[in-house]
Amino acid sequence: MIIKLRDFISNIFLRMFQQRRSLKLGIYGPPNAGKTTLANKICQDWLGEEMGPASKVPHETRAIQTKEKIKVKHKRKELTFNLIDTPGIATKIDYEDFLKYKMPQKEAKKRAREATKGVIEAIKWLDGMDAVLVVLDSTLNPYSQVNLTIIGNLAARDIPVLVIANKIDLKKAKIKKVENAFPQYEVVGISAEKGQNIEEFYESLFKLVK
Amino acid sequence: MPHQCVKCGKIYPDGSNELLKGCTSCTSRFFFFIKEKDLEESKKITEKLTNEEKQQIEQDVLEIIGIEDDTKPVILDLESIRILQPGKYELDIVELFKGKPLVYRVEEGKYIIDLASTFGSNKKSASN
Repeated sequence: MIIKLRDFISNIFLRMFQQRRSLKLGIYGPPNAGKTTLANKICQDWLGEEMGPASKVPHETRAIQTKEKIKVKHKRKELTFNLIDTPGIATKIDYEDFLKYKMPQKEAKKRAREATKGVIEAIKWLDGMDAVLVVLDSTLNPYSQVNLTIIGNLAARDIPVLVIANKIDLKKAKIKKVENAFPQYEVVGISAEKGQNIEEFYESLFKLVK
Repeated sequence: MPHQCVKCGKIYPDGSNELLKGCTSCTSRFFFFIKEKDLEESKKITEKLTNEEKQQIEQDVLEIIGIEDDTKPVILDLESIRILQPGKYELDIVELFKGKPLVYRVEEGKYIIDLASTFGSNKKSASN
């Protein structure tokens, strides 16, 4: 009886502790870097469902998306977190860029308006994050104002960062360049779409939030 | 710091009564807050806009900022967000990360920094 009572109490404490340990893991980065593709990969792996639609047209995610209590198991370790996928951060949003994808003008303007609102929302949410995955397109120059501003602000807020050099399946991918740009952070090269190097990503994720 | 009426482009100096009561030319209560050095450029941009575009910009901004009550004067800080025409936006993300308010509302003769209702409060400020 006493043992049962003890187990009951310890379970309550364990649950309380686990709930408090539910970290807020944010996914940040410029548009079209593969943030939602990575969020979908994580959610598919551990929840069996997707976070939201990903698209080749920039600014597909224009509002904050969250999935709660994702339980990741890796090498006997377990980690529970709330995953927050954010709209891509940009300095310029022009509806004409969407017209290239054969989008009607009215829809393109609406998308631009929503994307602008999304950037403001994403920035607003940053302070609440416990750790952040900064997703970058490894085929592009990492020294952009957006990348440097995001990472600089995360450093200023003492938020742990894991840099994801995404799209390593593409020929133009240069992980080394991303590593050189952000030497103070661990950089993991992955292909969220192809699931390439995803085990190493989970390994780094555990190190990030240990 | 001058303020420019979004609808008709008329410029008002800081603290003008018109910011509260509305523009004397068009009665609009929607203003851009601009730096002296940006005044000329701002005039050029707004001169090119059609009335329809100006109206659309006003609606866009209210939606982006999340203001439902459009009866109160709204002043947009051009340092953080610049709207060239409907659907074309430039964002100063360095300023946005600093948690600076984008919008100031004028109520009863004083400026109220509208952080709580539209942007939440970013207590920590970034160093860059």
